[in-house]
Amino acid sequence: MLRRKATIATFLAAVSVTAGTAVAVLGDATVASAATATFTPVADTYVDNSVTTTNYGTSAQLGVDNSPVKRMFLKFTVSGVSGTVTGAKLRVHTDDVSGAESPSGGTYKAMSNTTWSETGVTWANQPAIDGATLGSVGSVVRNSWYEVDVTSYVKGNGTFSIGVTSSSSDGADFDSRESGSTAPQLVVTTGTSSTPTPTPTPTPTPTTTPPSGDPVLVGAGDIANSGSGDTATAALLDGIPGTVFTAGDDAYDNGSTADFNNYYAPTWGRHKARTRPVAGNHEYNTSGASGYFGYFGSAAGEQGKGYYSYNLGNWHIVALNSNCSSIGGCNAGSAQEQWLRADLAANTRPCTLAMWHHPRFTSGSNHAPTTSVGPLVQALYDNNAEVVVTGHNHQYERFAPMNPSGQLDNARGIRHFVVGTGGAGMYNFGTIQPNSEVRNNNTFGVLKFTLHSNSYTWQFVPQSGKTFTDSGTNSCH
Amino acid sequence: MSDPSLPESAGASSGGGGLSLRARVSIASAVAVLLAAVAVVAIVVAPSGTPVAAGPGAPGRGAGGSGVIRADGPRLQMLDNGMLAAVSLDDPGGPRIVTSQRCDRAYAAAGTVACLRPASALGATRLSVLDDGMRERRSIELTGFPNRLRVSDSGRMIAWTLFVSGDSYAGGEFSTRAGILDTRTGRLATSVEEFAAVVDGRPNRAADLNVWGVTFTRDDNRFYATVATAGHRYLAEGDFAAKTLRTVADGVECPSLSPDGTRVAFKSAVDGDPARGWRLSVLDLASKRVVATGETRSVDDQAIWLDDRTVAYGLQRSDGVNDVWAVPADGTGTPRLLVPGANSPSVEVPEAGER
Repeated sequence: MLRRKATIATFLAAVSVTAGTAVAVLGDATVASAATATFTPVADTYVDNSVTTTNYGTSAQLGVDNSPVKRMFLKFTVSGVSGTVTGAKLRVHTDDVSGAESPSGGTYKAMSNTTWSETGVTWANQPAIDGATLGSVGSVVRNSWYEVDVTSYVKGNGTFSIGVTSSSSDGADFDSRESGSTAPQLVVTTGTSSTPTPTPTPTPTPTTTPPSGDPVLVGAGDIANSGSGDTATAALLDGIPGTVFTAGDDAYDNGSTADFNNYYAPTWGRHKARTRPVAGNHEYNTSGASGYFGYFGSAAGEQGKGYYSYNLGNWHIVALNSNCSSIGGCNAGSAQEQWLRADLAANTRPCTLAMWHHPRFTSGSNHAPTTSVGPLVQALYDNNAEVVVTGHNHQYERFAPMNPSGQLDNARGIRHFVVGTGGAGMYNFGTIQPNSEVRNNNTFGVLKFTLHSNSYTWQFVPQSGKTFTDSGTNSCH
Repeated sequence: MSDPSLPESAGASSGGGGLSLRARVSIASAVAVLLAAVAVVAIVVAPSGTPVAAGPGAPGRGAGGSGVIRADGPRLQMLDNGMLAAVSLDDPGGPRIVTSQRCDRAYAAAGTVACLRPASALGATRLSVLDDGMRERRSIELTGFPNRLRVSDSGRMIAWTLFVSGDSYAGGEFSTRAGILDTRTGRLATSVEEFAAVVDGRPNRAADLNVWGVTFTRDDNRFYATVATAGHRYLAEGDFAAKTLRTVADGVECPSLSPDGTRVAFKSAVDGDPARGWRLSVLDLASKRVVATGETRSVDDQAIWLDDRTVAYGLQRSDGVNDVWAVPADGTGTPRLLVPGANSPSVEVPEAGER
């Protein structure tokens, strides 16, 4: 069957050549013992400098041109790929329409911004095409596939943006993801494609991460009320060993002793002996958060402060109190900020994770970003911290590593998580903020960190019966 | 998110061991050509000679691909992740204009563009009144988190609702504040709650009274709104000049008056319990008959009317991206996606009063 296919293929290829399609670039697809996965864009659009405020995100076409200037933006999310990526190819297909042809199919570059919105990008607000050049496509004809090797950029799971420009005043038109079968593709190959002599019976190397003895830190915020959400998330904790964290609003409505006994104790309270909490605003509905401090005792740090730190393996864990007005402020020079800077200065562990209740960065509609915790974020950034975990908005959100101003910073940035998914009713999202990478508001769950010696893995573990999840790995700075 | 799948053009991990490089390239070329053939077939059958092979689910692209939004036709204004934006109502899934104006809620009618600016962490927000050239004509400092916003069909009256405590209609405690501005006279009612209210035929001075979701009638004086007190959420008729409110139906939230003034689209709490969500429904004002629309997902929005037969509203996906949907107002049909990646819709016809 393969042989017959090949014959037909050769015939068709010949036809296509005589028809003038000399640029048959598709290939390198079948390699022994290699696995391939094909992804279509999660977003694609183009911008046009002759109509600077127009967005084409829903268009079935993509254009790249130099007169008027048109730029294409493609975004792919690679997931489920295990093992070493040995090749990644971007495939784009020209429109089957007169004028789609061009002397130039464009220059393809990596982009650092992976959170642009397909239906929001215009010439006026376009993200920068600021990364390495991945390749160029020469002259293109209509209705053909073209390929660019992007192996240098796509090295594993993650989200990847590619920007395309052209220096030709005779632009090219491609099919967008809305066009169906001719949508752009990212073909990711893993395995031993470089092996010169293919083995007769390919057996891909198992790539499942071996069980590690590294410490686990797992938890969520916005947890226990009269509903059943906290029952679902506590059940998850039953199966996950390690240290449990809370991100505040542990017991509704007022964090009173009765609230902790009635709502928190029967669910998350099962794991109290391994729990290190932080206090939310609802805890401070009871004066001085006395119900909270009374329930958790010394595990919550010094009463009246509510900030403390501890170590897990190679990691330094800092619990802070974002109820700033209750503890003398969070500003630079405040008691907490001074303590934090001294604590971080004295820390010898290579990796740092901090948590508190009110998010500095959030796209939630119910609570705006809390700027008052900015000095705490600054102190952590100054000391090369890795992760900040918060709650307050009842939803899950993951941000890309950012500097304290919220700008993408892949070198030193802190990855911020909002994990208000402990059980209290979900909130809507508002305007999605820059560098927000993943969001969900229909799934209770816990966020599990596996703290490796010089890196970390995060995994959102959904309540039973739900499917949303999110996971990834980053190195420490 | 796309699931990884084996490409049909690749031999994947099985069976390709003995194939020569040339054969492999040939197969790949063949697939390219076959795909082209498929595209050619699609063009042959396409009724209007659409130049691109139509893909399933492609939201209508702009005719001719010129990307120019018609300036003379009716437009749907909306928010595109917090940026004021517009599409042609004739091609709502097509290209869109995205301005640099940031709003949490917006509404446009007859050349008046109202925009509730994002609130600060402390809850300070601002109503900006813009003309159709996006020039700010007036602004009002407010307190609370932007929630609902409406401009009367004439462009004269503006009404807004903010959450001043709490943050959801679903349950628990919350408090709203609704205000009205007459842009012609400058008269401002900062809190409609202070209007004299008659609830179920009796004067009401309850401290728990909340008002939200104003919709204006054609006379630019009378309006409808939600009046909530003692666990009830009423439809009330208001009079801006007389400063009165009078309830006319129970269980009606976030009303939106039809262009012909006979019906109100509203959100109807499921089994009377807002914590269970809302069914988008339509109330006939004369007969008080209620029809549930074909939208079965919970809608927490103040709907708009595209015409006398169709209502539109925003719905949020679980990842926070919003879409504007439309559904017939008479209970028939099913929802259709009107504008992906958008919320806070309103219809604007350039020539004032022509609608």
